[in-house]
Amino acid sequence: MLPALLPTVAVLAVGLVAAAAQSLGLLPLVGEPRLTLDAYRAVLDGPSLREGLVLSVALAAASTAVAVCVGFAVAVLVRRTRLGGRLVSVLAAATVPVPHLVGAAAIGLLLADSGLVARLVGAEPGSFPALVAGPWWVAVVAEYAWKESAFVAVVVLGALAAHETSLDEAAATLGARPAQRLRRVTLPLAAPALVATGGITFAYVVGSYEVAWLLGRTVPEPLPVLAYRLFTDIDLATRPEAMAVAVVTVTTASVAVAVTALALRRLGALR
Amino acid sequence: MTSRLQKRPRRAARAAAALAAAGLMLGACGAPAGDAAADPEAQSEPMDWDAVTAEARGQQVSLWMYGGDDRGNAYVDEVLAPAAQELGVDLRRVPVVDTADALNRVLTEQQAGRDDGSVDLVWVNGENFRSGRQADAWECGWAGSLPNSRFVDPEDPLLAEDFGTPVEGCEAPWHKAQFVLAYDSARVQDPPGDLDSLLAWAQEHPGRFTYPAPPDFTGSAFLRQALYDVAGGPSQVPADFDADVAAPLWQRLADVAPSLWREGGTYPRDLAQLEELYAGGQVDFTMTYGPSTLEDLVADGTFPATTRVLPLGGSLGNASFLAVPANATHAAGAKVVADLALSPEQQLAKADPQVWGQYTVLDPSALPPEAAEQLSRFTGSDVVPPFSELSRGALPELPAGWVAPLEDAWRDQVLRR
Repeated sequence: MLPALLPTVAVLAVGLVAAAAQSLGLLPLVGEPRLTLDAYRAVLDGPSLREGLVLSVALAAASTAVAVCVGFAVAVLVRRTRLGGRLVSVLAAATVPVPHLVGAAAIGLLLADSGLVARLVGAEPGSFPALVAGPWWVAVVAEYAWKESAFVAVVVLGALAAHETSLDEAAATLGARPAQRLRRVTLPLAAPALVATGGITFAYVVGSYEVAWLLGRTVPEPLPVLAYRLFTDIDLATRPEAMAVAVVTVTTASVAVAVTALALRRLGALR
Repeated sequence: MTSRLQKRPRRAARAAAALAAAGLMLGACGAPAGDAAADPEAQSEPMDWDAVTAEARGQQVSLWMYGGDDRGNAYVDEVLAPAAQELGVDLRRVPVVDTADALNRVLTEQQAGRDDGSVDLVWVNGENFRSGRQADAWECGWAGSLPNSRFVDPEDPLLAEDFGTPVEGCEAPWHKAQFVLAYDSARVQDPPGDLDSLLAWAQEHPGRFTYPAPPDFTGSAFLRQALYDVAGGPSQVPADFDADVAAPLWQRLADVAPSLWREGGTYPRDLAQLEELYAGGQVDFTMTYGPSTLEDLVADGTFPATTRVLPLGGSLGNASFLAVPANATHAAGAKVVADLALSPEQQLAKADPQVWGQYTVLDPSALPPEAAEQLSRFTGSDVVPPFSELSRGALPELPAGWVAPLEDAWRDQVLRR
């Protein structure tokens, strides 16, 4: 474990410390280092950070909700059906390693105004709903939900593999109806896996750049898109602001992880 | 492999520098070594070209350039590099996502006090050239004395200033570019003749026009083109950013915005997305600072065959250059490559639409007759007219100091209207 952990922690720690130091004016590209909150004040001054935070959290919440529901449904389907179930589980396992960037490009080709779906349904120019770069960020949520639901399903299937069959059969023998068994047996067994994957999905979406950049709107910008734009600005003075946005992003994702850990402890999965 | 090849000359250079420093200390007994070493270098004009070519022989020159243009990469690897090899220079292309990355590398190495820089030559213009000049990152006073600069018109305003920054021999010209708008003549029967009528056309045809969101390079060029139009020409635009001059532009663009694609609530993130929209028939106009790409896109069927360049009656033009960092390890080799790239043979090969289609910086009237004749054979096509026609009434680029403030103000005034 240690050989894997050490480089991960080292890279992460160095990156985070450097980002925090730059955001606090301690590593300027031009001028003298000086401890200051100017970068934070600058990003708090405009609407971009607030809008970005709201948008990032909303995107993460929507994607997580859909991914957890769909992922759980897929896992149950796989457990309850034979041939179809096996096919679905292979599909889910194959989806997990697809890079998000590739997924985003594929969703773009599928859902754009002149994309595959629009052509299949024969939509008149201008009549197809604005899914890509539209006001509701449908394509972005769809991409995250699709990819992450496969991840949820694979993990939930692993959690159910141990005891579900015997407990489910026992409940059936005792006369429990399918809906009761789902609520009293399957859901409690899957709950820790659902909470953990939900937390991971949320934190991932908050920090993810490429999907929102490819399929999203110009304004408002999710936090990572905002941070990268500030980072690549010709004006070198905006680098600390980019780092301030990055620190806010990391903090948001960390809060999600902490809440997940608390929930898992309450469920008794973490001790 | 490359790292092994690169290490040797670097280590040799470091050893040479150390020896030189030691020699200076012994000889001058604590004289300001830095100045003494730098001075003869800066005053090398007019340069002894034979000495430069002799020194260049055997050097490995790394040319840092934007790597996202396949035909540009192919030209450098398959045409320019073999020609450099004949002069004894081993030209290596280092692709970068953004020219600013190359400049950052130079500045970082300079900050670290390294005079054996890993960047020998950079394809650069505009803001990056200006930033580099501010930091004294370029070697200056050499470009005008290259042998092949005799084919360049010394009065050419596009080559004397780079986005308003005087060139002063700190970079050698490489290509010219012209900003153009293009439209689908099958769908636009009455093409607008200038930018103002284009915006009026957009208002009459809701959802059929848009432009890439600045800071995208092409979207930013569109802003500058529109600024000239609204302000009434280059003479009305002062050297430094002036919010009052730009204000009418924001008013005009904000007025048009509700008639743009997606009601102006969002814009294509970059030129690639605008080209996708145009190819998919979502909008009727596209734009580019590299007109020859239009011919490719039409030829491979991405764009409709009825695509035409919109005659604007004077559009933005610029030139791009090759600059040698002040701390380049192989400055002599880099200058030999810059001179080679400026030769009529290379400029003609590069101007061939089949090769790269980058317009020449040379003055046709100064060229040898056969080269001039060859140049006149690039007559353009149905899609893109020849450069002589495109560049008629060309407008100089805005001073570099305008670029960033314009992009920021667009975000506040138009995007968040």
